[in-house]
Amino acid sequence: MFALSFSRLLLQALPKQTVTPRATAQCIRSLTSQQEPLKKGDMPIKMENPYKTPPKTCILCNITVDFKNVQLLSQFISPHTGRIYGRHITGLCGRKQKEVSKAIKKARSMGFMSVTLKDPQFIKDPDICGIKHFE
Amino acid sequence: MPRYELCVILKAMQRPETAAVLRRTVETLLERGAVVRSLESLGERRLPYKISKHDSRHTHGGYFSVDFHASPKIVSELLDHLERDIDVLRPTLLKKDPELSQTHCCGAQAEEAKSAASR
Repeated sequence: MFALSFSRLLLQALPKQTVTPRATAQCIRSLTSQQEPLKKGDMPIKMENPYKTPPKTCILCNITVDFKNVQLLSQFISPHTGRIYGRHITGLCGRKQKEVSKAIKKARSMGFMSVTLKDPQFIKDPDICGIKHFE
Repeated sequence: MPRYELCVILKAMQRPETAAVLRRTVETLLERGAVVRSLESLGERRLPYKISKHDSRHTHGGYFSVDFHASPKIVSELLDHLERDIDVLRPTLLKKDPELSQTHCCGAQAEEAKSAASR
């Protein structure tokens, strides 16, 4: 890094001269040669970007969230306390997180889902949230 | 007429008694001019927490869902009637919203945001 700054200093110290492009043989060839005729069948074909990344979706995209679906809702609560996980843990989009949260509260008040715990039959369900509990 | 959903939790009883309760519930609905769409059983299961109702503590109950169209005026009367029924543990009446189109989900939202930003 020190060498770079040192060389920069040297360059600044030298008297500034206008740099005239030197006409080399290669340069002249590119300027004067005729362009190849455009072939009609050679144009790029218009197509949709084949390397497009699929649109980012949350796991509940296109899945209706119902208060009766206690198993689905139980995947977003803590198995120890029954508390609803936040957005940074579930990874859901804003809309779905709100729907899930509302459905859980509805289910709790209607007598479908427990408040302080997770139903024992749903404890073995696959982990969506990926939260590590204190072991 | 708006569409309602009545989710009732009935006391754990024998089949003929449960049938009688459901019959009289649906009859009350029909009396008040409701059009019952369907009656579904969500099974008889253990309650998530003990419910104390009508001087007794219950641990098991039968879950039923009634889908119907009715005028909004009967809502309060209906809930009052169900609360008084001894065999009904927890009546809940919900309004059924028309389902939102699924196209307005995450992917579509992100694309809209992108196109709005690029403009």
